[in-house]
Amino acid sequence: MLKKRLFAAVPAVALTVGLLAGCSGNNGNSGEEASGSASAGAGKDKVEISVWLTPQWKGAFDSTESDADYDSFFKYAADKFVKQYDKYDAKINVQVIAGDQRDELLNVNLNGGTPPDVFFESVFAMGDYAHRGALVPLNDIVDDAAKSDIAQGYWDNVTFGNDIYFYPFSNNPGTLAYNADMFRAAGLDSFVGGESEIKTWTLDEYNQILEALKTKLPKDKYSNAYPMALYALNNQGDTWNLAYLRMFGNKFFDDQGNIVLDDENGVKAAEWLRNLYKSGYTNPGAESVSSNDANAMFLNQQLAVSFTNPVLFNNAKADMAAGKAPKFDVRLANIPSVSGDPLTFTYVVGASVFKTGDDKRTEVAKDFVKFFSSDPELVKASKNSIPVRSSVISEFKDQFPLFEAYDKNSAHLFSFTGNVPGYSELRQVLYPELQAMYIGEKTPAEAVKDYQAKGNEVIQKARQNSVLNK
Amino acid sequence: MAKLQGKKKRDSYDVVANIVIVFFAICNLFPIYWLFTSSLKNSSDVIKMPPDWWPKTFTFSNYTEVFDSQPALRWTFNSLYVAGLSTILLVVTSSMAAYAFSKLRFKGKMVIFVIFISSLMVPKEVMIVPLFRIAQDLGLVNDLHGMIWPNVAVAFGVFLLKGFFDSVPDALREAARIDGAGEVRTFLQIMIPIVKPGIGALFILNFVQVWNDYLWQLVIGQEKEMKTLMVGIATLMQDLNPNFAYKMAGATVAAIPMLIIFLLFQGYFTRGLAGGAVKE
Repeated sequence: MLKKRLFAAVPAVALTVGLLAGCSGNNGNSGEEASGSASAGAGKDKVEISVWLTPQWKGAFDSTESDADYDSFFKYAADKFVKQYDKYDAKINVQVIAGDQRDELLNVNLNGGTPPDVFFESVFAMGDYAHRGALVPLNDIVDDAAKSDIAQGYWDNVTFGNDIYFYPFSNNPGTLAYNADMFRAAGLDSFVGGESEIKTWTLDEYNQILEALKTKLPKDKYSNAYPMALYALNNQGDTWNLAYLRMFGNKFFDDQGNIVLDDENGVKAAEWLRNLYKSGYTNPGAESVSSNDANAMFLNQQLAVSFTNPVLFNNAKADMAAGKAPKFDVRLANIPSVSGDPLTFTYVVGASVFKTGDDKRTEVAKDFVKFFSSDPELVKASKNSIPVRSSVISEFKDQFPLFEAYDKNSAHLFSFTGNVPGYSELRQVLYPELQAMYIGEKTPAEAVKDYQAKGNEVIQKARQNSVLNK
Repeated sequence: MAKLQGKKKRDSYDVVANIVIVFFAICNLFPIYWLFTSSLKNSSDVIKMPPDWWPKTFTFSNYTEVFDSQPALRWTFNSLYVAGLSTILLVVTSSMAAYAFSKLRFKGKMVIFVIFISSLMVPKEVMIVPLFRIAQDLGLVNDLHGMIWPNVAVAFGVFLLKGFFDSVPDALREAARIDGAGEVRTFLQIMIPIVKPGIGALFILNFVQVWNDYLWQLVIGQEKEMKTLMVGIATLMQDLNPNFAYKMAGATVAAIPMLIIFLLFQGYFTRGLAGGAVKE
């Protein structure tokens, strides 16, 4: 009887509630109906744009603010922009997109003709959209003041062909993070660097560290801990995996922009990773662990060494201070290499403007990007990672001594994308090969060889399709 | 004597079979148990080794955080509405089409049925972009109805229910017609009650399918308030929050409505799957 009633009740309730609720969020996502229409109140044309971003830092300026969230900064910036903007009656919708949903959402929306107006993200993840002709050049909103305040290296990073496609805001150098308390507990005091130092170890020293962490870490205090983070579930955080593959001296890309990992040094690096995994120096199940999982394991003191960047590092410290994660002494180190020179890389983060085919929206989008990327107050938010503006670095260098350490470290930067077209798709090729290697389906030599063959195919195809090469 | 020995043998087989079934049931249920109990622990207790098989201290703070920091209630409503209404409409369209393919005679019936069924071989991912364009043109982006309509006419439902209608003797339909019942009345009052187990099975199968229709719901529900529970919880899993228990609470919130639906309709589901296998 109850089931019979349920059969009748479920549709009735669903239909009624649906009709009442309307079930539509169509309140002008990207401004199609609003664009160009006259605003009754202000007498200016009303233009609505959408801003998408992947999670960067929480809070407008600081993660300790109340209700700090990933969209806080852009909501604050949008509010400030709208109040002072006199060309149009602008409305800005801000939306946070999970990193692993970015390409699916962008591709479907691009094909549907409704890309977001502005996307704030690491340049390496968005470069392909410039190659595909989906972005608007930003040369006209970059003035001399910005060019002199932001070092040329950053402009080179955001220039594709002859045009600037991203307005640099901050950068995120990639390093290792380590739990200094665990190091001390394993008798590794001499390997612990200073609080404001990015410690450099040789590869031999690093191997010693991993050995000591595996054998000497007190099990009563760290019952479920492993020396090093290793992950290959998806493409998230893959830049560290790319760095590990360079540890034995492989240069990764040749001068023509082809992958050249398949040599003695590339295979040695892959073997080193596989041996670490097989011998229990890393977390188990690397093939099914994501970088997010690894980061959470590190923050829960299950891993002694993990990957990090300034945003993750600052978020970790904020989580510890807020009691969301156990407190421990977290410090930074470089990715070691056999040559002794450390390996480091950086993600330049900035905004790009998509071609929407609507001139007014493009104009507002560009104005907004210029505004939040150059407003003296708003650019201070770049302190949550590493500012690209020397004026902001000068202002905060005493408060954030690590800025200087990152600056010194920049001598060891390598370009992990090689500026090759098709980099986004290339990322889809690496992790399946690493998975195959970790589960024993392929030898390190086979994984490296297959990655090179598949990767070069991707690059070749993307090169042919790039609008920047035409 | 031989009878008694046979009974004893059967009993011992039953005992072994039951032990095996219970073992596999525990294996299947353990992840759900672990998920739920972990969601009631502190983050550090989730990763403790040896683990606490039962939470030493219970906390609902992880659930509070899920519902406070995210519009999880709205996501739950969205998922229930989308999965519920899609499934109801699918049952209506599929039962009518299946009845027609099974019992009515019309020109080109087999050809149309084969074309219809061939659509099962086209993965939905292939149709995402054209479907998205249609949804845009109809103003259905960021609208729950945009998640519903593409799921209303699915060949699988017709295929499943046709098997049930085929198993109903034609004589029954003819008798109803002789008694003066029209086609609609025969369909609604004679046929539908007989194929109810099939409808129950289709309901639960389709409900699960739409509930988990991640990619389509991701591209249609782009605003935070328009996300469904699966998409919203997947986004939450991407959060850099180090609290494992919080993520467990999110996953539990996503799993519970599905479990309730399954428990409510499991009778129809099992009867329906068994019933569909029998033909006249």
